[in-house]
Amino acid sequence: MQLRVPILYVLLCLVLAGLIHIAAVLTLPALAPKDAWARLVPLGPVNTMIQIPPASPDQEIIPMMAPDVRYAFCRFDLAEGPVRLKAAVPNDLWLISFYTPRGDNFYTVTGADMRRAQLDLIIAKADQPVAEAGVDAPEEADHVVVVTSPAQEGVAVIRAPVSGPSRAARAEEALKATSCGPHPNTPADVGNSGPPTEAPAAAPN
Amino acid sequence: MRRLLLLIATFAVALLLGIGSAWYMIERGTPLTTNRVGPWASWMSEGNPNADPYTKAHLARSGRLPLTSTTARYFFARTDSEGDELTSACEYSIEGSALDARWWSIALYDAHGSVIENPSQRYSFNSEEAIRRSDGTYRISLASHARPENWLPSGSKMEQPLVLMLRIYGPRETDTSGIGQIPDDRLPKIERKACS
Repeated sequence: MQLRVPILYVLLCLVLAGLIHIAAVLTLPALAPKDAWARLVPLGPVNTMIQIPPASPDQEIIPMMAPDVRYAFCRFDLAEGPVRLKAAVPNDLWLISFYTPRGDNFYTVTGADMRRAQLDLIIAKADQPVAEAGVDAPEEADHVVVVTSPAQEGVAVIRAPVSGPSRAARAEEALKATSCGPHPNTPADVGNSGPPTEAPAAAPN
Repeated sequence: MRRLLLLIATFAVALLLGIGSAWYMIERGTPLTTNRVGPWASWMSEGNPNADPYTKAHLARSGRLPLTSTTARYFFARTDSEGDELTSACEYSIEGSALDARWWSIALYDAHGSVIENPSQRYSFNSEEAIRRSDGTYRISLASHARPENWLPSGSKMEQPLVLMLRIYGPRETDTSGIGQIPDDRLPKIERKACS
């Protein structure tokens, strides 16, 4: 038996398929229930540094986490003002990266890029002036990096690669010493301290 | 009647084609979004704020939080170098050569992206752990039972699909836009040995 389908139906089918395809691709990111952000939210509150338990067979917090990297993250919410992240970076393998809730990695700084072991970052929105007064001492201010976040919320992730079980404990210790919290923004004190020092949020390399 | 049936069939086929093609392009990738070298596939712009909609959808579904290709490169393998699916029922030899990067790691996962249970709690080998020959090359044996040199255990489950992920942090060779470049011949070969 020969089935003859009018060409019109074939065309209609292709056009419809195309529209469905586009709709599916564009709506999926918003509909995906288990994206990384949704997986990190239950682990703890915002503006706090939280360590992700290392990858193990019975738990899967983030799929395909590196078993030989120790991770800590800070979900930042800039509604109340900028957020400050401090870390003593023990080696040049560390990576500190910043994401929007959708997973856009808008900034990364590596241990190798840094000229000093003490990392001091202020995360702020473009319209949030970062007061220099909150920075401990004037000469310290030069070393504070201001990261401009494109969104009010986001997540900073610290990756600490390790090279064996014995060094894993050391990486976990070092991550424990990192901090993340609201940056005391006191515009009243800024007065004569000049414009805020802003390091350019250069492209990661 | 015939016209109605045809119309319904048209919609059904369109739905199947539309969703099917979207699923395939998001899940598996196409040359537009992924770079394929032998068994390895890499999503070129994952994590990039300017990524295409397919990559963004892939990322949202994956639940991962990758670094952009200027900082790190990720390569997945679901098959061996012959194109046959990786399974815990077989034993493989992964032959790699030196990578010009700050750090790299090869890790093994099940289909859900979890590491695989084994008594020695060995889930990966990285650039500082893997036993390498003097020329920088190395061999990792992917097997359920202990092997000499670098043994990456594939667990005691008889037959489950496996996924390998090679992550390369800080590749030193970059193209003009700063994207880390890994020469094709540097990616490990995955050779199937024996199957049970």
